[in-house]
Amino acid sequence: MALEDLRATVTRCSRCSYCKWIPFAHVKSWRFAKGCPSIEYNKFQSYSASGRLCASLSLLEERSSYFDEGLVDIVFKCMLDGCCDVACKINRYDFEPVEVMRQMRFKMIDNGCYPPQDMPLIDHLKKEDNMMMAAKADRANWAEGLGVKDLTEEKAEVVFHVGCRFSFDEELWRVPRTVVDLLNKAGVDFGILGKDENCCGGRVCDMGYRGEFIKYAENNIDAWKNAGVKTVVTGCSDCYHAFKRLYPEEMEFNFEVVHITEYIERLINEGKLKFTKEVPMTITYHDPCHLGRRGEAHVPWKGEQKKVRGHVLVWEPRRPRYNGAQGVYETPRNVLKSIPGVKLVEMERNREYAWCCGAGAGVRERYPDFSEWTAGERIEEAKASGAEAIVSACPHCERNFMDAVAEKNESLKVFDILDLVREAI
Amino acid sequence: MNILVCMKQVPDPQASSSGTTVDSEAKKVIMPQGTPPVLNPYDENALEAALKIKDAQGAKVTVISAGKNMAKTVLRKSIAVGADDLILLEDAAFENMNSYETAHVLVAAIKEIGEYDLILCGRQAADTDAGQVGSGIASILNLPCVTAACKLDISDGKAMVQRVVSDGFEDVEAPLPAVITASSEIGEMRYPGVKEIMAAQKVRITSRKASDLGVDVSQLKKPNLVSLDSPPGRTTDCQMVEAETPEEAGADLAVKVRESQIL
Ligand code: SF4
Ligand code: SF4
Repeated sequence: MALEDLRATVTRCSRCSYCKWIPFAHVKSWRFAKGCPSIEYNKFQSYSASGRLCASLSLLEERSSYFDEGLVDIVFKCMLDGCCDVACKINRYDFEPVEVMRQMRFKMIDNGCYPPQDMPLIDHLKKEDNMMMAAKADRANWAEGLGVKDLTEEKAEVVFHVGCRFSFDEELWRVPRTVVDLLNKAGVDFGILGKDENCCGGRVCDMGYRGEFIKYAENNIDAWKNAGVKTVVTGCSDCYHAFKRLYPEEMEFNFEVVHITEYIERLINEGKLKFTKEVPMTITYHDPCHLGRRGEAHVPWKGEQKKVRGHVLVWEPRRPRYNGAQGVYETPRNVLKSIPGVKLVEMERNREYAWCCGAGAGVRERYPDFSEWTAGERIEEAKASGAEAIVSACPHCERNFMDAVAEKNESLKVFDILDLVREAI
Repeated sequence: MNILVCMKQVPDPQASSSGTTVDSEAKKVIMPQGTPPVLNPYDENALEAALKIKDAQGAKVTVISAGKNMAKTVLRKSIAVGADDLILLEDAAFENMNSYETAHVLVAAIKEIGEYDLILCGRQAADTDAGQVGSGIASILNLPCVTAACKLDISDGKAMVQRVVSDGFEDVEAPLPAVITASSEIGEMRYPGVKEIMAAQKVRITSRKASDLGVDVSQLKKPNLVSLDSPPGRTTDCQMVEAETPEEAGADLAVKVRESQIL
């Protein structure tokens, strides 16, 4: 798809501004009614989905240029979290605001118009295959002493793809180590690619560098094929979104993709995992965008756009609809609810209209202040829910919350679901 | 000492090969969507050579680049690593010029600058691999030219250059001013920190159009690309040579290789 193919969305936006809010039917208070961090932080129309559609129309009509000053800031100061997409599709089910914003990024990158602070990150990624500015050789340090099967030498049906954040963020190592422990206990034949594991490419694709993403997708698929892998398990939502949605969209892909919460639910249902200890805690669950509304599986579609009755646009055959409804929402909640002692309370914005953690699509790396402000908003919402801890299923959300809590000197605790699972076994 | 470095912005030579396609009809190479242009790696080597001279004995390093729709963020990387000035020769007419025309445009800017002791270029561009701009500049300006330099020392108004040749190295001495084209062995460009990258965005750069340079665009020639096609697909056929001993296997392999006319 190219920006030119999205004219139907670009030209028909009615500037209704639904994209700035969570779906109206779900608004519970003025305080937490907003859905788009970008417009809320930047307070200027161009920084909303609607504003970006306007900008892309101007680009398509060649009224402005990719090189125009200020456009980099407008295009990239957005997490591509997709809350706008969900709200917009309530009335305009065939609109694709997030896809337009993604395509705009690709075009900007093609023209060499990107935030200059990307340069070291992308150059480092090309050399060390990770987004953490860390050395490739250290990628498997988290697994030291665990004796996990190395899939560069052995074969297994299941690969545990750890992801860049979990591999290099020492404070979070406890999570992948717990995954290994659980999979071992459940008798799963699995392995890791260790220091030869590559970045999934998902984040860098959202940042606009689709070219880099393609390379990583091809490498990862090759490595899994060579190791005889059938199922890919990951604990990271960014990786999950990359494997579930982006890989099959771009290339032949024949692997089952499972988020660790889905795997745990499966193990609980099969009776292979039992919780024996109480974890007395009131918690709230933060839906990672890339596991929720953006984590919907890719549905193959080939067709064309047609006009009926002179002006109504239809797609033949019917196009798959990505409106967030098929994201992973209940699974993590089911796991949490099955832990004895855990009391789960909801934040006002949850599931497909959850507020973003602030880390997505390169915003943490490019605009740390905006990223931290966004996380801070979520922390406020979590506190208002009465929870003593915010629990998520993505290392990027957790790191952003941990930093925001520390910065604001808050007492709210930040956990991964796996932390509670480990406590309960 | 004034050093001028000619820099070209090129499509990323490290881009995914499977994602890169050829549009034979439009005679264009289509890069995978979302692939930023980069500085030509050999030109980066040339800049590094200039910066080494600057470090050792002090010099003003000016980078010049010509083209259309130039990615300023990318080109400003040269300032981030230590170049003092960046001059962009930007004009719709500067798109797809042949090497000699490019050399002419660069020379127009070089003459405008006036003072220079050394002109450095990369040995060739990663997209066209033509390797003619450096010698083109030298011939127009009537200067000595040393190509494919892997070592460069400047002293007493002379350049001591070691060149890479097919069977080894060659040491050459050239009086300054001279044009020298750099090979990768001269050294990878140093890496700028985020602070330097951000600071480089604020440095004032000079932009010059064809008319500013007095270049008659009607005289600029575009290369006449006759046809552009994807390389033919490669098929691989693997045959195992079975034999009792490694010696026999070696002999059998030699016979097979000869039979199939590979050797
Ligand atoms: S993008 Fe959608 S929700 Fe936003 S203004 Fe346009 S039509 Fe309305
Ligand atoms: S993706 Fe998120 S930040 Fe970007 S416009 Fe949509 S809601 Fe706003």
